[in-house]
Amino acid sequence: METQSSRWLGHGLYLLIMAILISGVYFSGQRINYTWHWERLWPYIVNTDPQDIFAETDGTVVIDEKGTLSIEPDYGGDPQIVREYTTLVAYDGDLIFQGDTLARLEGWRFGPIAEGLWVTIKLSFISLIFSIILGLIFGLMRISHRQVMRNLAVTYVEVIRGTPLLVQIFIVYFFIGTVFDLDRFTAGVAALSIFTGAYVAEIVRAGIQSVPTGQMEAARSLGMNYVQAMCYVIMPQAIKRTLPPLAGQFINLIKDSSLVSVISITDLTKAGREVVSGSFAPFEVWFTVAALYLIVTGALSWAIQILEKRLSASD
Amino acid sequence: MTDKTLNAPIIQARHVDKTYPNGCHALKKVSLDVKRGEVVVIIGPSGSGKSTFLRTLNQLETISTGAIDIDGIELTDSSTNINKVREEVGMVFQSFNLFPHKTALGNVMLSPMKVKKETRAEAEVHARELLTRVGLAERMQNYPSRLSGGQQQRVAIARALAMKPKIMLFDEPTSALDPEMVGEVLDVMKGLAQEGMTMVVVTHEMGFAKEVADRVVFMEEGELILEESPDTFFESNHPRLNRFLGQVL
Repeated sequence: METQSSRWLGHGLYLLIMAILISGVYFSGQRINYTWHWERLWPYIVNTDPQDIFAETDGTVVIDEKGTLSIEPDYGGDPQIVREYTTLVAYDGDLIFQGDTLARLEGWRFGPIAEGLWVTIKLSFISLIFSIILGLIFGLMRISHRQVMRNLAVTYVEVIRGTPLLVQIFIVYFFIGTVFDLDRFTAGVAALSIFTGAYVAEIVRAGIQSVPTGQMEAARSLGMNYVQAMCYVIMPQAIKRTLPPLAGQFINLIKDSSLVSVISITDLTKAGREVVSGSFAPFEVWFTVAALYLIVTGALSWAIQILEKRLSASD
Repeated sequence: MTDKTLNAPIIQARHVDKTYPNGCHALKKVSLDVKRGEVVVIIGPSGSGKSTFLRTLNQLETISTGAIDIDGIELTDSSTNINKVREEVGMVFQSFNLFPHKTALGNVMLSPMKVKKETRAEAEVHARELLTRVGLAERMQNYPSRLSGGQQQRVAIARALAMKPKIMLFDEPTSALDPEMVGEVLDVMKGLAQEGMTMVVVTHEMGFAKEVADRVVFMEEGELILEESPDTFFESNHPRLNRFLGQVL
C-alpha cells in the first residue's frame, strides 16, 4: 500500500536524482572547457536582423510618388518591383547591377531551425494521415476472407518491416522518385507513410481481432452488412483499443522523419546540422533540436491521451 | 394474403446438414417447421447442435446440404439478400453482445437508423417505447458496463425488436445470468410469446418450456430426436430424453 507521505517521499527522491543528473551534465560540460553560447542560437530560430533586398537584374532605379521602387531592366523583361521596405539604399535614377542592395527591411522572420521544425511537423502530419489510410486498407485486407488480399497484405507488411527505413528512403527517392518524377518532399512523405503504414496495419489488425466475434454476429443479425458492421460496431471499439500502440507508432514517425535529411529535405535535423556549421555551437544546437522534437512528440501524446479519455466514457 | 400462405410454416428447415471443415458432423438431417405465432423450445445436452441449428436460421452458420425457407425466402439461394432476411429475424445471444461503445438507447437505435434509414427522432421514439416495455425506462442513458446481466439481456431483446422482426431466435438467453436475474428476462420473453411473436428458443429452462412452449424439441448429437407438445413431451419416456432430463433436473 502506497500512503500519501510515501508518495511525497518518492517525488522528493525523484527531484533529487534529477538534480544530480542535470548537475552532472552541467559540470561535465564545464570540465571539457567548452564555452556555451546560447545567445548565438537565437538568430537561427527567430531572425531579427534587417533583411537586405537585392537587385535581380541590371537596370535603372525608378521610385514613383507612392514610394514604390522598381527597376527598369537594361536588357528587357519585366521590371522588378519592391513595395515593402524600411530604408532605401538606392536612389531614383541609380544604375544598378545584379546583386546590388536596393533597400533594407526591418522586422523579424523565422530562422532555419524554426523553418526546419515546420518542415518536420508538415512532413510528419501528412505522413501520419497517409499511414492511417494505408494501415486501414492493409489491416482490413489482412483479415479479409479472400486469400489474395491476405497474401498481398502479408507481403507488404513483411517487406516493409523487414527492411531499414533508411534504405527505403533511398529506394523511394532514387528509384520510384526517378520513375514517377517525385520531388524530395513527396518522396519523403511516401517513404515515411509506407513505412509507418505497415506497422499501423498490424496494429489495426490486432485491434479488430481483439473485438469479440459476438459483436460482429450481433451486428449482422440485426441486418447490417459487413461494411456497416465494421464502421458502426467493430471499428469504434477497435480504435479505442489501438490508441495507445498507435500513439507510440506516431511518435516513432515523428522521430523517424529525421532520416529524410539524407535526401536533402531541410527538416529539423538537417537544419540543425547546417546551423552547427554556421554557429559553431554544436552542443546548444543539438540540445535545442532534441527539445523541439520532445515538444512535438509530447504534444501528440497529450492529444491522444485527451482522445483516449473522451472515448473511455463507456467504460 | 390467402389462407394457404397464412397457414404455411414461417420457418421450414429441410434435411439441414452441417459438417465443419475439421470433420465434425454438427447437424444430421434436421427438419423442423415453425408456424406463425408458435413458440418452439429446443433442449438438449451441450454439443448437441441446438445452438448451431438456431444459428443456421439466420445464416450466422452456413449449412452443408439441405434447405431453409424463412417466410417464403430460400436462404441457400445465392440470389437471396441475407441482410434483408436478417432484418426479419431477430436474435438474442447467450453473452448479450451489446455494443459497449453505445448507451442502452444507442444500442437499440443503431440498426433502425443505419439499416432501415429511420431518422434519429423516429428511432429514438421507438427505442424509448421498447426499453420502457422491457422495464428499462430508467436506465436508457447507461452504457452496458453499468448494467446488470439481466438488464443487458433485456436491452438486447429490445435491440432485436427494434427491427420489427417477424421471428425471434433466442440462443440460451438466460445461461449467462445470475439465478436471480433469470426471471426478469423470462418474463419479457413470456410477454412476447403472449403477443403472438414467432419464437425459437434454445434453453435449459424446463419451466419456461412447460409453461410457454407450443412445441418442445429434443436434440442430441446433431439429430432431432423428439418433437412434441410440452404435455406429451415431458411424459414421453423416451430413453435418451430421460437420460438427459435425469442429468439436468
